[in-house]
Amino acid sequence: MIIPRIIIGTLIASGLSVGLAISGLAYATANPAPAAALKQTTQDAAPQLDSSTADHTKFEALQADFKSGPEVTKACLSCHTEAAKQIHKTKHWTWEYKNPDTGQVLGKKHVINNFCTAVASNEDHCSACHIGYGWADKKFDFTVQENVDCLVCHDTTGVYKKLPGLAGHPNYETMEWPPKSGRLRPPTDLKKVAQNVGKTSRKTCGACHFRGGGGDAVKHGDLDSSLENPKRYLDVHMDTEGLNFACAKCHVTDAHEVPGSRYGPTASDTSGAQMRGSKEARNPATCQACHGNTPHDSADAKLNDHTHKIACQTCHVPAYARGPRHTKMSWDWSTAGRLDEQGKRIRTRNSVGKVEYDSNKGHFTYDRYVIPEYKWVNGKVKYTLFGDKVDGSSLVKINEFLGGPDDPDSRIWPLRVFRGKQMYDKGLQTLAVLHTTGNDDTAFWKNYDWDKALATGMKAVGAEYSGSMGFVETEMSWPITHMVAPKEDALKCEQCHTKGGRLAGIEGVYVPARDRIVAMDTAGFSLALLALISVLIHGAIRMFVSSRKRG
Amino acid sequence: MLKIVAGFFSGIALVAIVGWNTAGGFMMTEHESPFGVEETAARIQANIQALSDRGWKLSGIRSPSVSVAAAGTNVPPVILVEACSTKYSAPLLAEDATRILSILMPCTITVYKKDDGKTYIGTMNSGLMGKMFGEKVSSIMDEVAKDQEAFLSFDPSKPAPPLIKTRPGGGKGSGGQELSGC
Amino acid sequence: MQRIYIFKRFERFWHWSQAALITFMMLTGFEIHGTYAWLGFQRAVDYHTTAAWVLITLWIFAIFWHFTTGEWKQYIPTMEKAEAVLRYYVTGIFVNAPHPFRQSTLTKHNPLQRLAYLFVKLVINPLIWLTGLLYLFYSSWANWGLGWLNLEWIALGHVIGAFLMLIFFIAHVYLATVGHTPTSHIKAMVTGWEEVD
Repeated sequence: MIIPRIIIGTLIASGLSVGLAISGLAYATANPAPAAALKQTTQDAAPQLDSSTADHTKFEALQADFKSGPEVTKACLSCHTEAAKQIHKTKHWTWEYKNPDTGQVLGKKHVINNFCTAVASNEDHCSACHIGYGWADKKFDFTVQENVDCLVCHDTTGVYKKLPGLAGHPNYETMEWPPKSGRLRPPTDLKKVAQNVGKTSRKTCGACHFRGGGGDAVKHGDLDSSLENPKRYLDVHMDTEGLNFACAKCHVTDAHEVPGSRYGPTASDTSGAQMRGSKEARNPATCQACHGNTPHDSADAKLNDHTHKIACQTCHVPAYARGPRHTKMSWDWSTAGRLDEQGKRIRTRNSVGKVEYDSNKGHFTYDRYVIPEYKWVNGKVKYTLFGDKVDGSSLVKINEFLGGPDDPDSRIWPLRVFRGKQMYDKGLQTLAVLHTTGNDDTAFWKNYDWDKALATGMKAVGAEYSGSMGFVETEMSWPITHMVAPKEDALKCEQCHTKGGRLAGIEGVYVPARDRIVAMDTAGFSLALLALISVLIHGAIRMFVSSRKRG
Repeated sequence: MLKIVAGFFSGIALVAIVGWNTAGGFMMTEHESPFGVEETAARIQANIQALSDRGWKLSGIRSPSVSVAAAGTNVPPVILVEACSTKYSAPLLAEDATRILSILMPCTITVYKKDDGKTYIGTMNSGLMGKMFGEKVSSIMDEVAKDQEAFLSFDPSKPAPPLIKTRPGGGKGSGGQELSGC
Repeated sequence: MQRIYIFKRFERFWHWSQAALITFMMLTGFEIHGTYAWLGFQRAVDYHTTAAWVLITLWIFAIFWHFTTGEWKQYIPTMEKAEAVLRYYVTGIFVNAPHPFRQSTLTKHNPLQRLAYLFVKLVINPLIWLTGLLYLFYSSWANWGLGWLNLEWIALGHVIGAFLMLIFFIAHVYLATVGHTPTSHIKAMVTGWEEVD
C-alpha cells in the first residue's frame, strides 16, 4: 500500500507545482515586476495552508453585504458568542491597566507619552488603533458588544485598514488618505474581509504595533514593518524562511488576553522552561518560558553564569531597528507651529526622505541600527501621569523602570530611550494634554494656537488650563525585546568586558576587564617592576664583576 | 662583533614589523561625523557635487552592509560614497605606466557606524599613497587629497540634503528604501 | 666538581609543563583582567580555563608524586644557613665567595628556596586555586551556601595571587641564572644532572 501512496503523493505534488508554475507564469507575464510579485504570492499563499477546520466563506451569517463594522461583529458574535465579553476585559479594549505595584492607572487612555502625547480629546484619531468602533470621544460606550472590532486582528486579506479620524472605523466610502496626498482609498470590502478571517499574524498585530506613534517604525524601535517578512538576520524566530513565528507564538493568548506588556514587564524569570499545559500564572512571552535559565550548552557554560544579572535581550538583541527602516529617536514639540510666508504648513525631509520638521509636530530625529542604552530593571515601573508635579526645571521621566544591582529581581536590560520636549502647564505644574486633531477650531493642527488647543485638551481630562504653558524635556524608556539576532550575532564578550564598552554606565556589578581596583593594580605592577629592576641590577653587577675578573 | 650585527638586524626586523603593522593606519584616516550615517553620506555627496568645476561627479553609492545582512549577518550600516573626476583620472589613465592606478577608481569614501553608536568617515590617505608612485602621480594625488578634505567639511547650518541613490555609472537608482549592496 | 642526579624525570616534566602553563595563564589572565588585548576576551577566558584544568590535573599527579616519593620533605622549612645564603646573594656572589649551601639529592633546595617554594605552595597557589575555582563555579555559590560572596572580592584575591606569582616568576627566572654559569641551573632542570663542588 505504501508505494501507491507515494505515487499518488508525487502526482499530486507535481500537479500542484505545475499548476503553481503556470499560474505564476500567467501572473508574471501580466505583471510588470514578475520576480518580486511571484515571490509575494507564494509567501502570501502560506497562511492559506492553515489547518483551520472552518471555511468562513461558507458561513451563512457572512453572506450579507455588510454596511459597517459593527454589522460584521454582530455576525461574528452569532457563532463566537463569548468573544466580545472576553475582549471587553482586555487592555486592548479598555486601554487601561492598573499597575499592581504602584497602584497607578496606566494604559493608553491615561498615560501621557512624548510622541503624540495624549489620547484624551483626540480619540477619533487615536482610536484607529483601538480594537473597537466608534470611540470618538468620552461618551463612547465600552459595554456594547458590537463595538468590538474583530476584523482588525483577524483579517487575512490585508485590505482592512482603519484610518485616523474615523473613530476606529474603516472607511466605508472612498477616502483620500493622507489628506491632500492624492491617494484614494476605496471603500472596504467588508464581506470579503469577514469571509477571510483567520488567526492573528505579524501583519495584523503589526497594523498597530509596527505603526504606533504615527507611522511605521516610529515608536518601539524593535517593532516595525520589516518584521512582516523578516529574514533570519533580523529576527531568528520570525524569519519567514525559518521558524516564521507569529506574534502569538510567544504572546500565548488565552480568552483574548494577550500576555507580555511593558506596562507590567517581566524583568527576570527564574522558573525555567514552561511545561505545556502548565497552570502556572506566569508570562509565557519571556525568553526563559521556552529556553529556561541555562540555555547555553556546556561549551559555553560560562554564559549561563550571566543569567542572574543580565536579561537575555542584552546580548541577543545587539541593536534595534536593524532592518532597513529608520526609527524615530526624538521629538521636539517646542518648534511646532512655524509656518511659511503664506501661512502654510511646512514639512522638510531628511537625507532618507523622513519628515524632519512638520509644522504640526515639530522636529524629529531618526536612526537605524541603534545601540540600546542599558539599565537595571526589576519589572516595576513608575510613570509621570497627568497631575504629577512637573515644574519644567528638570528632565521628566515619562516612565522609569526601577531596579538596581542589589535587587535579586533586577537584570540589566537594553532600553530604547526616546527623548523629547513637550508641553506642560506652568500654572498647574503638570504635563499638558494637547488637543491636536479634530475638525473644530481649537485643534492644534487646524490653527496652531497652543492656548486654545491646550484648553480643549486639558478640559477633556477634567482640568482647567492655567493659560501659561512651556516645554519640558522628557524621556521615555522602552524595553528592547524583539529583533532577536541569530546566536552568532549576539554581543561578543569583548563588547562589555572592556573599558568603555556597552555596560560602561552600569554600576554595582564587577565586570572583569572593565573593572579593577586601581590601587591594587598599581601596587601589583609596581612591586613586579621593582622585582624586575632589582634582578636586573643584581645581574648587571654580576656581569660587571665577572668581566673585570676576566679582564 | 657578532652581537652588534645580530642586534642591527633584529633592530631592522623590529622596525619592519612595527611598520608593517601600522602601515594600514597611515594609508587610511578615520574621522568622527556629527551626523547619522545616511546624512553624512548625503552631505559628502553634496560637497562632491559642489566641486563639479574640478571635474567631480558622483559615480555611485553602495552599502556592503546590505549585502551582508541579506546573506544573514547583522552588521552596522556602512555606506560607500563613490566619486570620480576625469580631470585627475585622465592623465593617470593616459599612460601605460600609471594605468594600473585605475584600481583606486572611483575615489571612495566610507561612512559607517561603530559600536559606540557614532558615525565615522574613512578616507584613503591619497597624498601619502601618491608619493609612492613618483612625482607626477604624487602631484595629482595631492590635488585629490585637497578636494577630499573639502568633501568632508560640513556646514551644520545647512539642512540635510537628500541621499542620492545613483547607480554605479551614473544611472538613476531603483528608488527603493535599501541601497544596493557591494 | 662532580655531577649528581638531582631532578627526576617526573619532577622535570612537572616543572616545565607547570612553567609553560603558568606563563600562559599569566598572559591570558592579565588579558582577562583588562590589562591589554591579545587573544580577545572570549578566547582568553576559554584558554585560561582549559589551562587551569590541565594544571589542576598536573597538580594532582604532582601531589601524589610528592607524597609517594617522600619528596615533600624537601619543602620543610629550615632557618639553618638561611642567613648565610641571603648574605651570599647580597654580597658574596659578587666577590666569587663559595655558596654556603651544598646541593644533594636529599636536600635539593637551599633554605631560601625552601621558604620561597613553601610560600608558593602554601600561600600563592591555594589563593589562586581557591579564588579561581570559585570564579569558575560562580553560578553554584548559592547552592554551596556561599551566596554572600562577591565577585569583586574573588577577583581581587585572584589578582593578588597573580601579582604574587608574577613577582615570584621574575625572581625565580633570574635566580635560575646564578649557578656556576648562567645556564647551569637551567641545564640541570632539563637533564636532571647538577654540577656541584
